[in-house]
Parts: sequence; C-alpha cells; structure tokens
Amino acid sequence: MNKKIIFQTGSALISILLTALITFGFLFILGRDPVVIFGRIFSEVFGTGYGFAQTLFKTTPLIISGCAIAICFHAKLFNIGGEGQINAGAFVMALTATSFPGLPFLIILPLSILTGFIVSAVFGFIPAVIKVKKGVSEVITTIMLNFISLAMVNYFLISHFAVESTIRTTKIPENFFFTKLSDFIPSFHGSPLNITLFIALLLALIIYFTIYKTSIGYKLRAIGFNPVASVYMSVNVNKYTIVAFVLAAGMMSFVGLNYIFGYKGFYEYGFSANIGFTAIAVSLLARNNPIGIIFSAFLFGFLDYGGLAVNELVPKEIMLIFQGLVVLSILGVNKLTDNYLKINLERN
Amino acid sequence: MIPAIEFKNITKQFGNLKANDNVSFAIRKNSVHCILGENGAGKSTLMKILYGAYQPDSGKLFVDGKQQNFHTPHDAINAGVAMVWQHFMLIDDFSVLENVILGNEPISGIKIDFKTAQKKINDVITKFNLGLNPDDKVEKLSIAEQQKVELLKILYRKPSIIIFDEPTAVLSPVEVDEFFNIITKLKDSGNTIILITHKLREVIQIAERVTVLRQGKKVYEAEATEIDEDILGKEIVGDSSFEIASETKLETDGEKKVAILEKAGLSSGGYSKLNDINLVLRAGEISGICGVEGNGQNEIVDILLQLLSVENGTAELNYSSVSVVPDDRIKKGMISEYTIGENVITRKMGFEIALKAKLKKLSEILIKSYDIRTPDYFTPMGNLSGGNQQKAIVAREIENQSELIIFSHPTRGVDLKSSLFIHDEIIHVRNSGRAVLLVSSDLDELFKLSDRLIVLYNGQTVKEYEPLELKSRLKDAESFTVEVGKLMVGAGIE
Repeated sequence: MNKKIIFQTGSALISILLTALITFGFLFILGRDPVVIFGRIFSEVFGTGYGFAQTLFKTTPLIISGCAIAICFHAKLFNIGGEGQINAGAFVMALTATSFPGLPFLIILPLSILTGFIVSAVFGFIPAVIKVKKGVSEVITTIMLNFISLAMVNYFLISHFAVESTIRTTKIPENFFFTKLSDFIPSFHGSPLNITLFIALLLALIIYFTIYKTSIGYKLRAIGFNPVASVYMSVNVNKYTIVAFVLAAGMMSFVGLNYIFGYKGFYEYGFSANIGFTAIAVSLLARNNPIGIIFSAFLFGFLDYGGLAVNELVPKEIMLIFQGLVVLSILGVNKLTDNYLKINLERN
Repeated sequence: MIPAIEFKNITKQFGNLKANDNVSFAIRKNSVHCILGENGAGKSTLMKILYGAYQPDSGKLFVDGKQQNFHTPHDAINAGVAMVWQHFMLIDDFSVLENVILGNEPISGIKIDFKTAQKKINDVITKFNLGLNPDDKVEKLSIAEQQKVELLKILYRKPSIIIFDEPTAVLSPVEVDEFFNIITKLKDSGNTIILITHKLREVIQIAERVTVLRQGKKVYEAEATEIDEDILGKEIVGDSSFEIASETKLETDGEKKVAILEKAGLSSGGYSKLNDINLVLRAGEISGICGVEGNGQNEIVDILLQLLSVENGTAELNYSSVSVVPDDRIKKGMISEYTIGENVITRKMGFEIALKAKLKKLSEILIKSYDIRTPDYFTPMGNLSGGNQQKAIVAREIENQSELIIFSHPTRGVDLKSSLFIHDEIIHVRNSGRAVLLVSSDLDELFKLSDRLIVLYNGQTVKEYEPLELKSRLKDAESFTVEVGKLMVGAGIE
C-alpha cells in the first residue's frame, strides 16, 4: 500500500522534472538563461515573505476547486463546468453578503456560503440529472453550462447589480473581511493571504476522509470503477452521480471566499481566471487524492506567481506552457508506473 | 509418433510460489487431451507458457518435435498454437465477419476484400457445422454463439493445436453436446485439442487422455478408458474429502412466501423477454431455475432485485432485503480495485466510517470463515483467483443476512473444492430459514441443491417440480436429466 503511494508520488515528481527539463529547453531556444530565470522564480517565492504569501494566496482557490473536481473524478465523472459554477456561486455569495445591511457578520457569512453553494450546486445538478435521465455525456453539458452561467452572471451584473461603470458588485463592509495572515506574520505584509487558506486545507482533509474512509466515498468510487457491479451491490448509481456533482459544484463556490471575503470585498467579472479549468490539471497531477492536491495546487500557485515575478524576463505564457506540459507528462509517466505496479502486483 | 506437444521439466515461479513445478508430459497428435486441476493448480500458467504469454524459468517445450521458445502469443500462433479464451474478446458492434478478419484482413488494392473473406469464412462454418451467419452482429448472439465466433476467429487462421479454457462453463447441456460435436469434427480434420475444465463428467465423455495438476505439479496421468469420476475427483483434490454432499432435501413446502410472480411478463427493445412467469419463493427453501442461458433468468433476477419491473401480470415482493451473487462476478459482482473489506463496506447500506482496523477485521472474519485464499487482507479482489473471488462474493452476500438470497451460477468457473464449499454454504443459508433462488446451467448443481425445480424456456416457466416430486424423480437421475434437458429446449411443450 505504502509502496504504491511512494511510486505514485515518485511518478509525479518525475513528471515535474521532465517538464522542467523541456521548459529549460524552451527558454534556451528563446535565448534566455533558464538557470537565471528559475533562480529568480525560486528566490521570489521562497526568498521573500511576500512572495511566499502570494503563492499561497494563489494556491488557496486551487486547493478548493481541485478537491471539488476530484470528487467527480473519483466517480469517473468529468466536470468541465467548474468555471461557470465558480462564477455563479461567487456572484450570488457577494450579492448575499451585501444585501442585508444591519445583519451581523456571523449570520451573513453562513448565509452567503449557503446561497453561493446552492447556486453553484444547481449548475452541477443540471448536468447530473440530464446524464442520469437521458444518458447525455456530462462533458458536453458542463461545457455548455459554462457559457450559460457566465452569460447569466454577466447579464445580471451589468444590468442590475454592478457599481456604475465597473463590472463588479458593491463592496462588503470592512468588518466582514477575513483576518489576513500578515496580521500574525509581519513578513507577509502586503499580501491578501487570509484564513481561507485554512478553510481550503480543512476542506481537503474532509474530502480526503470522506472519499477514502467512509462508505459514501467507497460508493462514489465504486460507481466510477464499475457501475454495473455497483448496481448489483445495491449502490444507487444515479443517486451517487447526482451527489458527486452537487457536492463538487457546490464546493466550487467556496473559491469565492478567498476573493470576496479575503481580498477585494466584491465579486468582479472574470475574477476566477480559469481556475475552474486549472483545477482539472491540479486534480489529475495529484491522482485526485485531496492530500496530493494540496501539493499540486501549490505547484500551480508557484508557477502562477513565479510567472508574474519573471514577467519582465520571459513572457508569462512560458508558465502556461509549463502547466500544460506537466499534465501531459504526468499522464504519460502515470501510465508507465501503473504498468510497472500492475506487473509487480501480478508477480506477487 | 512425435507428440504434438511435449512439456519437459517445465518450472515457472512467481515470487515464492511455484506455479509450475517440474511438469513433464506429452500430448498426442490428433487427440483430445484434458488438463484438470483446481484453481491455482497451475493449468493456466502452463497454458500461458504454451501460448507464449509467459516464458518458463526452466524446462523445454517441444511443438511437433521442435523445441520452441515462444516469446509472444504471436510466435505461438505462427507455430499453429491457438487459444480460445474463457472470456471472449469480441467487438460487439462488429459483425461476425468483421470480428473474424480483424487483424488479418485480406486486402485487394487499398480496400478490404470482403468477398474473399466471406467465402473463406463460410467454408469454415460449413466444414465444422458452426451454424453462424457472418453478417450477424455479435451483440445479438447468445453466449454459445459468441463462443463459436471465438472459435471461428481461430479456425480462420488454420491452427493445428487448439486450447480451450473452460469452454463449457458458459454452456447449457444441449449446447455442450453441440460443442462436443464440433470438437469431434476438429479432431477428425486433424487438429490436436487441449481442454481445460472442471467438469469431470465431460472429461470422461470427450477426453482420450487426462493429466491432473495439483499445486503446480503433475500428479496423475491416464487414458480416459482407465478412469472414473471418483478417481479424478480424488486426484484433483488430493485428499479423501471428496464426496457428494449428503441428501438434505425438503419434502414439504417452505413456510412463508417471500415472493410471488404471477403471469409476469416483460419486454425490452421490442422483444418479449418474459411472458407467463409463475414463480413462488418460500423461506427455508431452495428454488432452482434451470434453462438454457438467455431464456429469462437474468430478467427474473433483475425483477427480484427491483432493477426491472413487470409489465404484465403481478410481482409481489414481500421480503425486506435481498442479496445476490450475480452470474458474472467480474462485471457485476465486485469492484476489482477494492479489497475484500472495501467491497463489503461498499455493499453496506448505511453511512459508515471505514478505518483500516475495521476493514481489516471485516476481511479477516470473511477470509477465515469462508477459507478465501489471499496473500493478505489488503490485496485487491481483482488479483485473487476466480474461485477465491467467488467465495468472497458469496461470503459478502451471505453475511448480509438478507431474507432472500439469489445465487446466479454460483460455481461457474470455480474449482471442485470451492464449489463444494459454496454448495454447503447455500444449504446453510436455506437451513437458517432464508429463501434461496438458485439460477444455474449446471444440472448436477441444480439437482443437488434444489428443493423445488422450475424449468424455464423462452421466458416462460414450462414446468415446476414440487419438493416431494423432485425428490422421488431424482432417484432416477439419468432419465430425469433427459426429461429436463428436453424441457429446456422447448421439446414437449403444447
């Protein structure tokens, strides 16, 4: 068992190394010194408190969305609709937080989380029901729902809720903001890194526990491994398909916490910056293991912030290429380690 | 005469396990040779060596007198050795013809020469009397017909040695006879046939020579004329525990009726699957359903599991819980990636927290009381041998304590010892007052276990033998077999 985890972690590390090598090659061809550039990235991220905090700030939403995607992946469901789910939920979350002046924070916060969760969950419920009832692939429906969700949010925002001549909602009261970590660690000063990070870590632990240690998790994974056998083992496949999608989509709304309560205080169109898609890569890299997702989210946060830090030296796109390559190489290397493990297990 | 195949001191080791231990024997040319042994006795490993999927650690393999070192199945095929697998490898959406020529398409110009292929295939079908239509889609064929397609695929490549891995496990008695006719024809046209099987009666019927493996070693070899079922049974199991279970049959009806199907009917995709099914399941009674596969057995099971509902007639399901040992253990019975304990947890209805210690405890109880052979409790079920997988599924379902337990082909592809064990367990379940439905195509099994026997044909219950009648009819098992066999194929129905 442990051997397996070591091998799988190893294969993730090999993929990252492989990708780094290819990226080195790219930079070399572009006529840049890869050592200088990567050195700069490392010193920015690990050398300064601010850089490290910024990286963690970028990591936070990726942990949340990565775990959400992982729930679906375990049931062999492909949720490509993260982006739409995040925006719909976060938008409503921000609206809720500003719609009841006078109510205390301790009521507003859970209320906002709840409404955000419900709205995001609806965007997961729809493709799940269409899949269960009519057998339509969730890949298609979730992609389409991204357009619908983003267009709806855009419409309601511009025509009703946006602050004049902006594309954002009104700001929540100052006392609603989450505590920033720079309050405790002075070197983080200037970074919006906030307690959402701990919420994200807690979520990862909860999802890990649910997936690997509870009968619900076993059922979710069972319908992914073998839906027919699941039926005969009296697992309600339709029910768990919907449960997986609703949980995953609902969880996507929590991405909004980091931005709305932790950083800006409002919802702004486009804030999610494709987190819903990056989450797929984050989850894949970690083989959908929520603990692993914490680390792979950190890698993507690192690349994201690192890319910004060396912006004047190389185009930021290099880091996007890196992200894409990581996914490709992890898929390839995983296949190799899987084959190796399979042969080894068979021999034993 | 040079033998078709000669194994000389073949040894193959996996870790500490000697799968084949110094095995030597020869297979005569143009003969039918049976290889017997329990699951894990080393038959599959030996065949995989012959088929090029494994290489022996030591020892030599001679085919037609020539020493061979097959590195891939491709090498074996080129040397004229072919294998018909127990699990079919067919593409459902393709026609028979397309499946057969796949990977070996005759070409004219840049397109496939279907005409030549069709002619070649039709020749083979006529020669061996396979009764297939090359244009039929595979998904529409019965299991027996799909098996013939597998065979056709191989015959198309003109092998001289054909290995069958438990070919009759999926066939009904009538189909078995038909299959044996094909074997005879194959032999008559000069082929050497190797059969791997668990069914002793068939061995005596068809084999010319028999080899028994036990724990990787060759323990017995004889001409078919010198053997009987008792001898073989003892050689296979290796101790004297081999005996047919004692008579334990009921003479009266079980008490409580837990399920009543009356004139039940059901159709799917425009075809009538069930019509006029009359079936009563009673607590403390084993109801056996016999019939050729595909005559409505699976639909009845699915109705009882409430996966399907009847369209005509009535289905009164009075039980509070139901368990099932499904007909296809890999597809329907288990999550291969899960351990035994994890399979159990998944099966449980309510919310549970499954920590390692709990899973360990759950599995160890089952492993111990059901004698499941596994390296350790956290081995995925997919890595266990077929018989042990089946035992684990049986264990899981029995431990569920449901009011009704359905056993669908509970010992298919399971070795003798495990089969006997599973039979005993089924009788225990019955004795504990629960209702049992036994679906099988193995008449011996049905006769041994059933208190009540229902014959199914074309979605109808054509005959029901009440407990007392069944018991007296079984005194003359031979003529009873003939009668039931006829009913199963629809003979004698007004």
